Amino acid sequence: MDAIQGLLSPSKDVIAQHIVHDIRLPRALLAATVGACFAAAGVVMQGLTQNPLASPAVLGVNAGAALGMAAVSTITPWFGLLGISMAAMIGGGVAWTLVMILGSAWRGGSDTGRLVLAGVAISALCAAFTKALVIMEEDQASAVLSWLAGSFANGNWDTWSLFWPVALFALIGSQLLTPTLNLLQLGDDNAQNLGISLVWTKLAGSVLVLILVGSAIGASGSISFVGLLVPHMARILCGQDHRYFLPLSMLMGSALVVLADTLSRGIIFPLETPAGAILALIGAPFFIYLVKKRAS
Amino acid sequence: MSLSTQDLSVGYHGKAIVKEVSFELPKGKIIALLGPNGCGKSTLLKAMARILKPMTGQVFWNDQDLHQMPSRQLSKELALLPQTQPIPEGVKVKDLVAYGRSPYTGFWGRLNKEDNRIINDVMAQVGITELGEQLVSELSGGQRQRAWLAMTLAQDTPYLLLDEPTTYMDLSHQVELMQTLRKLNSSGKTIITVLHDINQAARYCDHLIVMKDGEIITQGEPENVLTQDMLKTVFSLNAQIHRDPIANTPMCVVE
Repeated sequence: MDAIQGLLSPSKDVIAQHIVHDIRLPRALLAATVGACFAAAGVVMQGLTQNPLASPAVLGVNAGAALGMAAVSTITPWFGLLGISMAAMIGGGVAWTLVMILGSAWRGGSDTGRLVLAGVAISALCAAFTKALVIMEEDQASAVLSWLAGSFANGNWDTWSLFWPVALFALIGSQLLTPTLNLLQLGDDNAQNLGISLVWTKLAGSVLVLILVGSAIGASGSISFVGLLVPHMARILCGQDHRYFLPLSMLMGSALVVLADTLSRGIIFPLETPAGAILALIGAPFFIYLVKKRAS
Repeated sequence: MSLSTQDLSVGYHGKAIVKEVSFELPKGKIIALLGPNGCGKSTLLKAMARILKPMTGQVFWNDQDLHQMPSRQLSKELALLPQTQPIPEGVKVKDLVAYGRSPYTGFWGRLNKEDNRIINDVMAQVGITELGEQLVSELSGGQRQRAWLAMTLAQDTPYLLLDEPTTYMDLSHQVELMQTLRKLNSSGKTIITVLHDINQAARYCDHLIVMKDGEIITQGEPENVLTQDMLKTVFSLNAQIHRDPIANTPMCVVE
């Protein structure tokens, strides 16, 4: 009862209502939007690369963004959320570009294994640099570490107000890209024949992915597996038409991350397990399953 | 409307496969592109469909450089059926055919009545109406080829570029396809198609273009192109030319 009251019209005196309004609500909103962003980024990346294993975490965008973020917050800690999001986008962008070049994904018909290998290699490299930064700048280490694990414990209204306009823009943008993603699955030749400009599509898609991932990582930290897991679950539920399974992916991504965040508060109460760790626990077996299914 | 090339060289990884080819597609005809494997037929077709950028020379659409034109505008003028097709997972046949309408569809890929009418028409034309609800990945090779062909036809363009459309098809579907092409041609479409069966080309096409080593060796009506000399020099075949007893077109019989 207090919870509902707190949502609708928080009174100043009841502590439970305060908790719901000032702590729980922004945190839940953040978790839901971050989940939608990662899921959408996964859908767009899988569509662009035509690779079922593509996702921000597998193809190095998360690691690059984390490195960018770590660099900014250890070297110049006064940048604030926008600065951190920008740094995450730039870091993710550099990593993604490197992966695309190494995996020769700009050329049509590139083989899928090569792209994933490039992603793993770049991720490892970025992770190594990030660790070096953390070791060098010990005062900032704990903040960076909690980001790396991906947690909503620090979510508040300030974070939310900076995050949602960017996220909304990118989520709508990716929705506008869906008819094009549909055509990309017919192969590069057919897509071009149907009037799609491959260069512009891949560029626009990549920029959207970077905004989605960069802003989400800036708001919560590095959350893996949502981008990989959710698009596949949504596809199983509603088929291959991107116009329908992208919005479904967003919803499922939201639900999954909110669920993980709820679990993260409860598992070893009153301590918090990072939501990212919970997701990894669910996601890792699914990733292995996907790899096995493709191998057979 | 016209489609032509001037001194067109095009290839892969800096190596020219098609070498300085200049020609104009005769408008309103069915044209067969013939030649031995690796002679550059598919490459030429892809360059004319703007999929491959020329190394030197140009492709002209109505005297404009084709590769400088907006892709979406061109997608209403010419359609290409590539030689090999990916097998998209989880896509139904009727959705695949519907994607052929995407140059015309408005916001968010919505289909209108006209789109649906064309989709049903082309599916009937290539005989896949009853396969509509099946997944493309579950079809046989020949059925799949017909589904892709329907998608290309759904683009409803005045120019059709087909790369070995008869591949995987059994004889009766091949004949049906050639008759469909004739019907489309008489409704005003210009069709250029890569074919391997020389006799099929001579029987159903108005104009033959023969390529070897990236160059056009000869072109013209089947009567003038299909000769013993040509078969010898281009295909290294000793063959005789006879009359097709039914269509009275020239036909080659290998010795």
